Amino acid sequence: MDDLYREQIIDRYQNPLFKGELDPNDISFEDSNPLCGDEIRIDLRIDEHDLVQEAVFSGHGCAISQASADLLMERIQGKSLDEAKSLTKEDILEMLGIELGPVRLKCALLSLKVLKAGVYGLGEADDDLVE
Amino acid sequence: MCGPTGIGILYGRRSLLEEMPPFLGGGDMIKRVELRTFLPNELPHKFEAGTPSIAEAIGFGAAVDYLNNIGLDDIARQEHIIISYALERLEEIPGIKVYGPEAEQKGGVASFTLEGVHPHDVSQILDRDGVAVRAGHHCAMPLHMKLNLTATTRASFYLYNTIEEVDRLVDAIYKVKKIFRA
Repeated sequence: MDDLYREQIIDRYQNPLFKGELDPNDISFEDSNPLCGDEIRIDLRIDEHDLVQEAVFSGHGCAISQASADLLMERIQGKSLDEAKSLTKEDILEMLGIELGPVRLKCALLSLKVLKAGVYGLGEADDDLVE
Repeated sequence: MCGPTGIGILYGRRSLLEEMPPFLGGGDMIKRVELRTFLPNELPHKFEAGTPSIAEAIGFGAAVDYLNNIGLDDIARQEHIIISYALERLEEIPGIKVYGPEAEQKGGVASFTLEGVHPHDVSQILDRDGVAVRAGHHCAMPLHMKLNLTATTRASFYLYNTIEEVDRLVDAIYKVKKIFRA
């Protein structure tokens, strides 16, 4: 009945492929969406060529935020940090394959925000990162 | 109260209000202005500086008349009938947890969580089924933290809601469960 909750999103929410934590890691960052309590932490291991060797996320939240994080982790495996930096809101929406209103957009973009803040080595995640 | 937004009633004891200084300057709240002093107007004008929300106040008056016409006792009775039925129907759904006291001590609201589904996902799917509920902290974040809840979904019933609408809510929750295989 519902594009927003199509099979792939429910499946990634319930059976994520890239959920976990890395210790030690090269990059680790976490942030939350205070409005709905979603929390995402992303841990990365980076090899000597600046490629993402391993990327996982942890945290909790709605189906959209968790599925989006899982798809994002899959997307950046083996990719360069520059490629991770160049990802945009449109990339996330394309991965999810759905249209989102402004409120749920925040859920979908939380993981990208966390990823970028981590990769850029910022102190805090800013909404501008995903605009 | 079925009236316009952005307006309400504040009750205050006259003797205390008279002692209190004005908190905002503007038209209508002054009786007399001199170079170095001023005399505030009588109550309630003392606290109503500037152009009032005229349309809202008239609309609010109409809302008060409307509710009084129906009768507050009847409204309370209707709310109680609906919330009793709603709690009964909600609690029979496997995986649901309804928060708050028994129907006797409750207004027309039911906050709940559904196992395995985030409250925002619940509300979004209900919305697409034509059932409008709220998800979040409902201005009670410390309580949610104490209950160790990220958020809850809340259905609110009022004098215009019907028993059939409770059934629609329950049917829609079963749909959520189906989508999430919960």
